Amino acid sequence: MSLLKITHHPPLRLLGCIHQPLFPFITPFTVPSRTLIQSGYRRPGKPREDQFPWQKIKFDLSKGLQGIKNHFTLLKNEFLGRWVGPEGKPILEHMLEQNRVVWEFRGPESLQNWTVSSDEEIGGQSRVYLKLGKNDNTCFLYGTLGSSPPKDGLTRYSGYCTMRSKQLLASFDRKKHHDWSSFNTLHLRIRGDGRPWMVNITAETYFSHQKDDIYSYFLYTRGGPYWQDVKIPFSKFFLTHRGRIQDDQHPLWLDKINTIGFTLGDKADGPFQLEIDYIGVCKDYAHTEDFAYEVYKRNPEV
Amino acid sequence: MKAPLERLGWSNNDAKVYYNPRHQVLRHLQSSRACAKSRTTPARFVDEEEKKRENSLVTHDLFEQVARESKTKATFNKVIEVFIKRDIRRRGHVEFIYAALKKMPEFGVERDLVVYNKLLDVFPKEVFVPRNFIQRMFNHYPRQQECGVQLLEQMENYGIMPNVETKVLLVQIFGEKGHPVRKYQRIMYWFPKFKHINPFPIPQQLPEDPVDLARFSLTRIANDLDAKVTVYQLPYTDMTESGEELTLPHIVGIQSPSQMELLAKHNLNRPVFVEGPFPLWLRKTCVHYYVLRADPKPPEEQVEEPYDPERCFDYPLQLELDFDRDLGDNEDFDVEDLDEGPVYAMCMTSQGDQATLNQWIAGLQQNNPVLGQVPALFRLEPGPRELQGAAESVSGHSSRPHPDSHVENAQSGEDAEVILEEEARRSHGMKQ
Repeated sequence: MSLLKITHHPPLRLLGCIHQPLFPFITPFTVPSRTLIQSGYRRPGKPREDQFPWQKIKFDLSKGLQGIKNHFTLLKNEFLGRWVGPEGKPILEHMLEQNRVVWEFRGPESLQNWTVSSDEEIGGQSRVYLKLGKNDNTCFLYGTLGSSPPKDGLTRYSGYCTMRSKQLLASFDRKKHHDWSSFNTLHLRIRGDGRPWMVNITAETYFSHQKDDIYSYFLYTRGGPYWQDVKIPFSKFFLTHRGRIQDDQHPLWLDKINTIGFTLGDKADGPFQLEIDYIGVCKDYAHTEDFAYEVYKRNPEV
Repeated sequence: MKAPLERLGWSNNDAKVYYNPRHQVLRHLQSSRACAKSRTTPARFVDEEEKKRENSLVTHDLFEQVARESKTKATFNKVIEVFIKRDIRRRGHVEFIYAALKKMPEFGVERDLVVYNKLLDVFPKEVFVPRNFIQRMFNHYPRQQECGVQLLEQMENYGIMPNVETKVLLVQIFGEKGHPVRKYQRIMYWFPKFKHINPFPIPQQLPEDPVDLARFSLTRIANDLDAKVTVYQLPYTDMTESGEELTLPHIVGIQSPSQMELLAKHNLNRPVFVEGPFPLWLRKTCVHYYVLRADPKPPEEQVEEPYDPERCFDYPLQLELDFDRDLGDNEDFDVEDLDEGPVYAMCMTSQGDQATLNQWIAGLQQNNPVLGQVPALFRLEPGPRELQGAAESVSGHSSRPHPDSHVENAQSGEDAEVILEEEARRSHGMKQ
């Protein structure tokens, strides 16, 4: 009899009923459910979006004309740049390049390459703004950090502010990547207020489950009126996925870099500021390390 | 037999399932019925004795009951002991641990490894260890494991490194390869790697004395070992003749020899600016500093100074070698230099009004006679000053409240320099 009963249950229920409550609406549900397919973040309590992807596209004639103009300009530059040399530079310059300034902030249009976000999106209290510095020569990231989590019953931690570069796009919205494979060090010129930041680099990945893989390292600021030159070797970056350090570490592959980002989340509530002069990459011959963490065995071992 | 039991809801409160369910099916059936009954009545109508016996809401109350008068480490330990002694089966321990984790900052024990170990000791031992490969394969006692991971995660967030005792406890509770043990191994792998990577370390306990704090933060931001810290004024409270209490703020400044050199070369016709307050964060405390600086020199005034060959006898500071240097030897970034003007000195004070900062300038004048001939303009931003007051009241010492409007009104009648200051501020505002 009991066997018959059991076979009537769907198998998932059978496993679940051992540990999970039968009345999930009455008892508090402390174990967060994990989905197999990773979708983007949806705020707890927000309804699921019930729209087809093509319903979100805005069709507009002027937008289309502007798009055609932009895309064909990009396409032309691509063709002509190839004629000059790789990545639009002469071959000698490309081969002998020791360092490259990737992002610098000169004028308001340079801020177009960046997006800022904070935990406001998940209902938190942080605010972040981006503007040009005093002489229109730097980027000034400021705001306030508030680390009390939103009261939705699910979110446990909150309090982050972040700034991230936009994905490079070639003509017709094809993805373009930064190729830093001839460099080994990230060079930043910054001026902070003493708070620790985190530098996040995302690289192009092949499988969709890797799309949230981020390589991170810490950026400590001194504070004070003086600028600070920071060199971070790429070998020090460690692999994280959705905010968790991974057991299987892997060196960052520099041939297809998508974005770089800066995150603040040091749980110290209050105003913050970070001024960036430029972000570059350079070749440091004194640095020979490939990867700073063990790759020959998993930690913890299985 | 099993199915009706399920329908009755014995797995409803799984924190009660401690031992192998095979032996104790009946008992669970009984207890769960009582539990389900008490669940239906709202918590506030349940009288005290019943609450103590059954409901999981007790854990919150336990902290309030036992530690009613004082919230210290001793009372926290007492709460844990009371909980352990109350029930041999440690009924509701997962809820208790979650509640305890939440209460830890209130009791000031969130950075205490001993307390964490003691809290981990609440878990019954050897009950949740998987015994065969099927149990090991599936997530064995997931709620308990989740709770253990949560405890370790809170330790991680506060930067506490677990010790061997933690490991022994975890292995006893969850077995060699449970999720909490994994979490422990991860912490033990990554924590030592990142322990000392901060190139500008801050002590865990910041100095209490504001002067010491100012000295520490000024040497941090000056980034010059030759820089000298001068205390221009120590804080003290004085009684005037009329009986008013007069609190004098502390003024601590820093200046390096190179800054003095720069200041000595300053063009006398151009003003110097006192700017601030700028924030500086030392872990969770925010302090503010003020800067004496000048505008960058216009290009026609900039002179390329030749190197003094006697400045360094050990090696030449300038080499005139004509090697074939090409692009591959170019190690400078191709960016235009930012010229923001030199910084001449920095100071920290608890009260950032103009009178106090004037005192600092007067003190600087003893070593830098140029300052007597150069007009000093104040570009003080009113914004963060209230924040500073708030931060200071948090860190312990109180500052005299000084509304900005009051300060400005008091100064507006003084002399013509204020007008200059106003102009300076306006131009400053336009520049931004």
